[in-house]
Amino acid sequence: MTLALHGLGVSRGIAIGAVHLLKRDAPEPTERGIEADEIETEVERLRAAVAAASDQIRSVLTRIPADAPGDIGAFLDAHLMMLNDAAFTGEPVRLIRERACNAEWALALQRDALMRVFSAMEDPYLRTRQDDVRHVVERILRVLSGAAPVAHDKEGENLHGLVIVAEDLTPADTVQLQQAGIAAFAIEHGGPTAHTAILARSLGIPAIVGLPNLRRLLRDGETIVIDGTAGVLIALADEALLRYYRERKRQERRYQTELIQLREAESLTLDGIAVELQANIELTADFASVRRVGARGVGLYRTEFLYMNRTTPPSEEEQFETYVGIFREMDGVPVTIRTVDLGADKLNLNWQRTSASAVNPALGLRGLRLCLHEPELLIAQLRAILRASAFGPLRMMVPMISTLQELRQFMAHLEEVRKELRREECEFDESMPIGGMIEVPAAALCADTFAAALDFLSIGTNDLIQYTMAIDRDNEEVSYLYDPINPGVLRLIDYVLQAGIRHATPVAMCGEMAGDTRYVRLLLAMGLRSFSVHPAALLEVKRVIRRTSLESLASFGARTRLLESCAEVRDLLSELEAL
Amino acid sequence: MSSLTRTITICNKLGLHARAAARFVQLASRFESEIRLTRGSREANGKSIMGVMMLAAGKGTELALIIEGNDAEEAMAELVGMVENRFGESE
Repeated sequence: MTLALHGLGVSRGIAIGAVHLLKRDAPEPTERGIEADEIETEVERLRAAVAAASDQIRSVLTRIPADAPGDIGAFLDAHLMMLNDAAFTGEPVRLIRERACNAEWALALQRDALMRVFSAMEDPYLRTRQDDVRHVVERILRVLSGAAPVAHDKEGENLHGLVIVAEDLTPADTVQLQQAGIAAFAIEHGGPTAHTAILARSLGIPAIVGLPNLRRLLRDGETIVIDGTAGVLIALADEALLRYYRERKRQERRYQTELIQLREAESLTLDGIAVELQANIELTADFASVRRVGARGVGLYRTEFLYMNRTTPPSEEEQFETYVGIFREMDGVPVTIRTVDLGADKLNLNWQRTSASAVNPALGLRGLRLCLHEPELLIAQLRAILRASAFGPLRMMVPMISTLQELRQFMAHLEEVRKELRREECEFDESMPIGGMIEVPAAALCADTFAAALDFLSIGTNDLIQYTMAIDRDNEEVSYLYDPINPGVLRLIDYVLQAGIRHATPVAMCGEMAGDTRYVRLLLAMGLRSFSVHPAALLEVKRVIRRTSLESLASFGARTRLLESCAEVRDLLSELEAL
Repeated sequence: MSSLTRTITICNKLGLHARAAARFVQLASRFESEIRLTRGSREANGKSIMGVMMLAAGKGTELALIIEGNDAEEAMAELVGMVENRFGESE
């Protein structure tokens, strides 16, 4: 009888393969007495094992994908530092000498002593750090026992096409297993934000987490199906079900191949209308993913990362170097830089005089408000951006505009900086387009004013939705109201797009909504002609654009204004999808 | 040669866990000065990740940061900045 287990699908895709049960634990050491003249050999054996374990982690560090989140590296760094801490290099050596015992036993004693300290900690999160101790010790023990780095049974075993089933996986294990060719993995522990889950997405391995007792339910070698999209694991599937999943897998592969082929394709509708399609960049590390999908421009370059994890704001010079570097990285495609959208919530730096105690930082001193409050911050960035504009096609946009007054203040600062640069005979693009983000409902309702005052507008849907619906996205009790297709949100978007058309001011959209393939036709019908999306969504959005004829959408634009509920919008979306 | 002592409060949500401790130790190790952290009667070498982790400093914990050496002032400014900046974590 077929068995279907529901967990949490953390990385999309379908895999069909034989189960490979991982026994994470290295053999539990036993005490073995050694002769006095063997002691130094045993110490050397331990040191060599620690060095080899460090090399393994270093080699995993070099293979982390460029678009994996930065803390994966930090996590492995922490393990590397633990390995080289006196707790592992000093104390076990002392134990070997004192007890005349084998290296494994000395390590096990030290591990147990450390684990006792951690398990007695009050803070539940810090208490679970005993896992780190266990992982580090296991890695050394594996080297000592001659086992492979991850719990393969044999050194260098080929795991090609296998589905790994384990209690848990460390990020390092995950990278190593992917290199060994696994098709997918399913684990008993874990949640959607666990490092292993994030890494599985970066590596493109279908994965399900949160399946308790899984190892007891499956046998080594039996064929199972992993549907990472739905979070379902299927064992003992009959032939009909396997056929269904093989077909799904084929479709998926065709879809992926089709997407890759779209890399070079123009972003044109079926009736030949060009739709601008650009990528959002959050971190310098995103350049690789942007190049991979062949983006022809950067529609939103966020500058917040420059200000984080440091005690002083970045200097003008440092910013200038970074901005000019974008042209180098992106082969000179047009780039839209957003001035910094810091909130009092993001930072608590000593150079920042703002209060971090705001109860609701989304409604506090942030974005343009903060920049006008801290003009020296703004001026350094404006100088850096203007100077960079001499080196490539650059546009600048301002986040979180609420009032015309704010925009005028901003423009006054900009004019001052321009004058300064002219006096210094510093080159810059005198006609660099200046745009504004529309994310505050008051600005959306005055879109005419801003369309007249600016060279372009860009709709930031994430904040626009949260402000329009009066909800805090992180508040689980009201997050159900966060819906891009709420008619109130759609009418505001429509209003901004129409203002853009009346003033011949281009309007782009750079929020998550723009990168959601379900809404592409709706937005095209409403008149949007410029999308800026997460690199991972770019080709999928291009595919929808290329399968859509604007002519067929003609009647839909007016209809969206009459919709009264999310249910009605969903019906319209189904109609659009069926076109 | 100077000797400085400051009381610091751990303000990131997860406390001095492995990655935060790693960042602290990496920064501390760049300085020549001797760097110690104390919590009550317990003391840890600020350049040892296990020592720092075993202080069990959760959110809200107060620690004394004691730095002795030629670059003590610079080390104090940078380390305090990092702790106040929640080790670069968002909450």
